[in-house]
Amino acid sequence: MKRIEVKLALPVVAPLLDVIKELADSLRKNLAAPLELKDLDPEFREAWTDELLSTQNEEVSTLLALFDDDFFGDGVVAFDENNAEIIVRACAAVRLRLREKYLKPLGDEALESGDLDLMTLDEPLRKAFMCYLFLATIQELIIQHLDESILGA
Amino acid sequence: MRITSANPQLSPSPGSETELRLEGLWRVVVLNDPVNLMSYVVMVFKKVFGYDEQTARQKMLEVHEQGRSVVWSGLREKAEAYAFTLQQWHLTAVLEPDEAH
Repeated sequence: MKRIEVKLALPVVAPLLDVIKELADSLRKNLAAPLELKDLDPEFREAWTDELLSTQNEEVSTLLALFDDDFFGDGVVAFDENNAEIIVRACAAVRLRLREKYLKPLGDEALESGDLDLMTLDEPLRKAFMCYLFLATIQELIIQHLDESILGA
Repeated sequence: MRITSANPQLSPSPGSETELRLEGLWRVVVLNDPVNLMSYVVMVFKKVFGYDEQTARQKMLEVHEQGRSVVWSGLREKAEAYAFTLQQWHLTAVLEPDEAH
C-alpha cells in the first residue's frame, strides 16, 4: 500500500488546529458547499442534506483525528489509500468554510492565486489564511502522490 | 437514495406536473468557486465521471474561466445522483433541462 508520511513543524501547525476545530463545529449543521438545486422535492432535499452532513462530519472528524497525541509527539501525519479520499474532501470542506467565515474580505482573486502578503493581515485573518494554505498543501500532497489510490477506490 | 422519484421513461399520469417537468434530458452543471484547487476539481471529474486527464482538465478550465461547465447530460434521476456525488465532493452543482434534445 502506498503511504506518505509528512513531518510538520509543530509550532506552526498547532495554532492552526484551533481554527480547524472551530470550523469543524460550524460545519456540524451546515454544508460546506450550499445545495443549489432549487426544484428538489422538500423531503428529498432534507434527506440529501442529512446524508451530506453526516458524510461531511465523518470526513472532518477523520481530519481532526490526524492530529492526535502521536502527532504532538513526533509531528508526523500519514496518508494512505484508506484515508486519502476522506482527508482531501475534509480539507475542501474546511477551506470552503474558512472563506465563508473569515476570508471573504480578501477577495476571490487573492484566494484563487494565494498571492497575499501575510504580514499585512491582522492576526485572526493571518491565522485563517495560513490554515487555508496549510489545508491546500495537504490536498496537493495527497493528489500528487495518492491520486491513483483515490481513483481506484 | 431517492425519496420521491419520477421515472422519465414512464408516461406521466394526467395532471402530474412533476413528472412532466422531470421528463426529458437534464444537464449537470458545475459552478465555479474560488476555493477548490484546480488539481482537486480535475481529480473529482476523473473519479466521478471517469473522464481521462485531458477531458477532466478541459472541463475544469471551463468552470474556472466561464464560471460553469456542463459535465454530464441524461435522465433526471441519474443527473440527480451525479449532482449528489459532486456535492459530496463539496463542488456546487445545479441541474438544468437539456433543451438541445
